[in-house]
Amino acid sequence: MFNINSIMIFIQKLRNIFFSNILNTIFSLVIILLISLAFLNTFEWIIFDANWKVVTSNLPLYAFGSFPSNEQWRPATWIISLLLLSIITLFGPEWKWLRQNLLLTWISTIPLGLYLLYGGFGLSPIMSRHWGGLTLTILLTTCSSLFSLPFGIILALCRQSSLPLIRKLSSIYIDVMRAIPLIAVLFFGQLLIPLFLPVGIEIDRVWRSILAFTLFVSAYIAEDIRGGLQAIPNTQIEAANSLGLNQYQIIQFILIPQALRIALPALTNQSIGLFQNTSLMAILGLVELLGVGRSILANPEFIGQYIEVYVWLACVYWLVCTIMAVLGRHLEHRMTMNQANF
Amino acid sequence: MKPIVIAKNLTKSYTKGIRALDNVSLTVNQGKVLVVMGPSGSGKSTLIRTFNGLETFDQGEIDILGIKLDCNHNERKIQRIRKRVGMVFQQFNLFPHLSILENITLAPVNVQKRHRSEAEEYGMYLLGQMGIDSHAKKYPSQLSGGEQQRVAIARALALKPELLLFDEPTSALDPERINEVLDAMRRLAKQGMTMIVVTHEIGFAKDVSDQVLFMDSGKVIETSTPDLFFSNAKHDRSRKFLNQLDKN
Repeated sequence: MFNINSIMIFIQKLRNIFFSNILNTIFSLVIILLISLAFLNTFEWIIFDANWKVVTSNLPLYAFGSFPSNEQWRPATWIISLLLLSIITLFGPEWKWLRQNLLLTWISTIPLGLYLLYGGFGLSPIMSRHWGGLTLTILLTTCSSLFSLPFGIILALCRQSSLPLIRKLSSIYIDVMRAIPLIAVLFFGQLLIPLFLPVGIEIDRVWRSILAFTLFVSAYIAEDIRGGLQAIPNTQIEAANSLGLNQYQIIQFILIPQALRIALPALTNQSIGLFQNTSLMAILGLVELLGVGRSILANPEFIGQYIEVYVWLACVYWLVCTIMAVLGRHLEHRMTMNQANF
Repeated sequence: MKPIVIAKNLTKSYTKGIRALDNVSLTVNQGKVLVVMGPSGSGKSTLIRTFNGLETFDQGEIDILGIKLDCNHNERKIQRIRKRVGMVFQQFNLFPHLSILENITLAPVNVQKRHRSEAEEYGMYLLGQMGIDSHAKKYPSQLSGGEQQRVAIARALALKPELLLFDEPTSALDPERINEVLDAMRRLAKQGMTMIVVTHEIGFAKDVSDQVLFMDSGKVIETSTPDLFFSNAKHDRSRKFLNQLDKN
């Protein structure tokens, strides 16, 4: 592949594009100079100027928040199992039993995570106010996604219902939720839900925020699913009708599987957005990943080291988002592999 | 002779007073094949879609397998009819997210509550009959049009229907693929299946049908045996239509 000839052609091409006349040459040189200066400065800062101690000495904080240090193996186990599962999903062998049970395994990581965090049944119980860091961010994302998907599907189906009351109610809900900024819904979850609940019933802060995220995201998911439902031709329903399937069977076997497939790219998008939006909880007092960063910056020892902390957090957010995006694409690819026309 | 379908004075009009069906009556006996012909827009598709409740009608009544339907769309009765009547569509309408075998076993397993293994065994037998059992694990988009239509016939047969409805089953196919579908239908007719077929295939109608019904503008223009209809049609409108078909 790499022979002298092809390199020569490549150089010739570069020369034609960037240095074909004097004006182009000047432009190219100036831009190349600017880019290399930017890179040089960045690298200089990363390697010589930045003080990474604010990151390296606080790694357990970023990962687990104020989780008691002798129990930190529990959230660590959870995060590592999620990572392993991602790797198996992406690069694992094509064994049929493995692939058939992957979805179930993914869903079961949520009860596993809750058990590891809460404790009980042989583990010492730990209150949710000690949860934090990346662990809490991932917990908020996974739980809210898991709950908002079925809720979103139900909303989308209600919006297509033939009963006017149900249709109207669900479309009002969706429109209202989309008209309110997320931060307002989160404030509602943190400050107002405790007021509405009867005396003696309390939902802790983590669950209140999961509830608020679920209420918000499911409205968007409902619209994505509705798009999927509308893309299914009516002839599919006719064919299912003529086979004697009833309304619920048509929804279960024909409409939902096809709508989910069509909506999958949009759903991946929603869950990545949700992951990033969990950082809003830092303002509302949950010490998730961004919250940890803020509390570390409040420590006199690390005062003023904003750039290091935020660059580091950006990298972590980027890494997790990339993993989610790759997983989403992988799922899309798998679902459409056998269906060229679909 | 046990009648399977008796339709009396079916009438259906759309808004603006256009009649899709205008006083249509017909009878199909057990084991017989009725071919419905007519120009497009003549109401043939509407007619056979009323027989499994995909279309409503405004006047008249239908008796299918002893179940009586009138213009009040009774869902429960329609559901009972659909379990005993199969339908094959022009555009196949297979479920793209299910494999061929899953397409066929969906209704037997969920509507008739049969065991999956039993339904799969019967599904493989039907695919064998249609000559496509080697494709059972594939998905609809991996098959040619003719193969997809044979899967659709197998899917309709999986409920062991007493009547099969065909709505222009070969109109969406390449000319070279038409015969593989028509041959499958010929075999079914030989096995004594009662069928109502909307089609423009004169050869098929001559060979297989027991009765030809010609429609135009929602009306039945003439009903006769295929021999009489194709050699000596009574009405000008039918003759004109047949001439057109011959020219093509």
